[in-house]
Amino acid sequence: MSDFWFEFVEITQTVGDGLLFGATYALIGIGFTLIFGAMGKLNMTYAGASLAGAYAGLAAFTFVNAPALVVFLVSALASGFIGFVVYVACFRFIPVNNHLAALMASIGALFFIDEIVIHATDGSPLTFPAMFEYVMFDLGPYGIRGDLLFVFVVCVVSTAGLVYVLYRSRLGLATRAVSQQDVAARLCGIDVHRTNAITFVLAGLLGGIAGSMTAAAVGVLSPLVTIPLTVKGLIVTVIGGLGSIPGAIVAGLLVGGLENVFLYFRGVNERDMYVLLLLFVFLVFRPHGISGTAIDRD
Amino acid sequence: MLELRGLSKHFGGVKALDRLDLTIDEGEIFGLIGPNGSGKSTTINVICGVYPQTAGSVLFRGELMNGKPPHQRLRAGLARTFQNIRLFPTLTVWQNLWVAQNSPGDIARQGFLPRWFGTTRRTRQEIAELLELADLGHKSDELAANLAFGEQRRLEFARAAAARPKLLLLDEPAAGMNSQEIDDLSWRIRRVRDSGVTVLLVEHVMELVMGVTERIAVLNFGHRIAFGTPSEVQRNRAVQEAYLGTSAAEAGPADGSA
Repeated sequence: MSDFWFEFVEITQTVGDGLLFGATYALIGIGFTLIFGAMGKLNMTYAGASLAGAYAGLAAFTFVNAPALVVFLVSALASGFIGFVVYVACFRFIPVNNHLAALMASIGALFFIDEIVIHATDGSPLTFPAMFEYVMFDLGPYGIRGDLLFVFVVCVVSTAGLVYVLYRSRLGLATRAVSQQDVAARLCGIDVHRTNAITFVLAGLLGGIAGSMTAAAVGVLSPLVTIPLTVKGLIVTVIGGLGSIPGAIVAGLLVGGLENVFLYFRGVNERDMYVLLLLFVFLVFRPHGISGTAIDRD
Repeated sequence: MLELRGLSKHFGGVKALDRLDLTIDEGEIFGLIGPNGSGKSTTINVICGVYPQTAGSVLFRGELMNGKPPHQRLRAGLARTFQNIRLFPTLTVWQNLWVAQNSPGDIARQGFLPRWFGTTRRTRQEIAELLELADLGHKSDELAANLAFGEQRRLEFARAAAARPKLLLLDEPAAGMNSQEIDDLSWRIRRVRDSGVTVLLVEHVMELVMGVTERIAVLNFGHRIAFGTPSEVQRNRAVQEAYLGTSAAEAGPADGSA
């Protein structure tokens, strides 16, 4: 009985950690889904740009010894800026209906950004600052890592901020108007190119937070993270339902939690394999994702 | 106010609009009518920049509009409604109007934050007035998608008026309306005009056109075939032929309610 109890605590602990870390996946998923919602296109650069933002934050840490909070802020701003550059380079001037060209351009930009990072860091992992990493909250038999809790809280706050902007501010309403009725929005005086650019910047800010939070939770930043984070972001986006923000939130937490379940039972080598299988389970049995149909699009 | 000079729009070999000349004066309610496929909607689409014209030019308040994107034309004072309603379905009635408040003076005056994140007392008051105009005050927090058809039409009208345009283009606003609704619509159109907006009404429903417009141009096959006051146009032989066919026009004068 005590063996069972011990195991139960272990599993729930690991799932809880996964849920906390899953918030970063949710944030990345939201970024993908936000851009898809606005333009109907996938921005493959997104996770890479988010990590590049985190690298910019890391530069602030390395060269001027900035405190962790400033590092996170710089990451977000840098990633927002990269988001704008990616929009201009890969989306702004490509004809609206040419989805494949935009997709290829963004994949190219992903590798380009990755190469820049590899070149700048010689491809070696670098330590990333965290906050509250020595804090541990005891909750009965469970322990909650301070740094993970911080990551979770930051992600929740940024998501809440984004939802506020999208659903309560005129800026967000304008971007949603464009995603719902492109032509009508233009004829209501909304500059579609500008709102799209703003969407990319917003998504970029979010991505920079997600990137730096991922790095803070893991403790290191490495170019090797780019592809797994891109893949997980896409998985979250698909499972959540393309274009659905609530879906991305649920899917991010789901992937984070399940990932640790797989980790617990099958070990680190097999973990990502099962996460990918999850993607195919959804694509076959529920291709529209959790939310059924992508909301906010018609 | 609005001047179309030799305006043409060809879709492949189809001349949807062929060298159309038209002048609309400030403060009038101008009707543009014609049988199906005569180029009415194309005219509106070219005026507000949805389609580029094949030839000719659009002058709005003396300014050449050729090549300008729709949002710039709106800011110059050109707003429109759609024949097939195009509201923002998951925005509320109030938000639909808020998003559409893009009049040029306000945009220039407001800073980034108030423009994108706040509401001024003036914008709120204007929205309240528009809700009253569209008789939608009680539905202001309803999602646009949940409105009845007639309410959606009214919201679309109010949304176009929200930009405080100089010229309002109405693309078949009375389609599918009953007599009572048409009366309401005429009242609404007159009220908007009395607030200083010129109106171009593109319409099939003669009950509305004949009742509310002051001058009418008739299109057929992309050409203007007649022009004048409602009663002049009704008596025009070419118009009767276009609408009723040659033999019907020969059989006797139409009673005017084509």
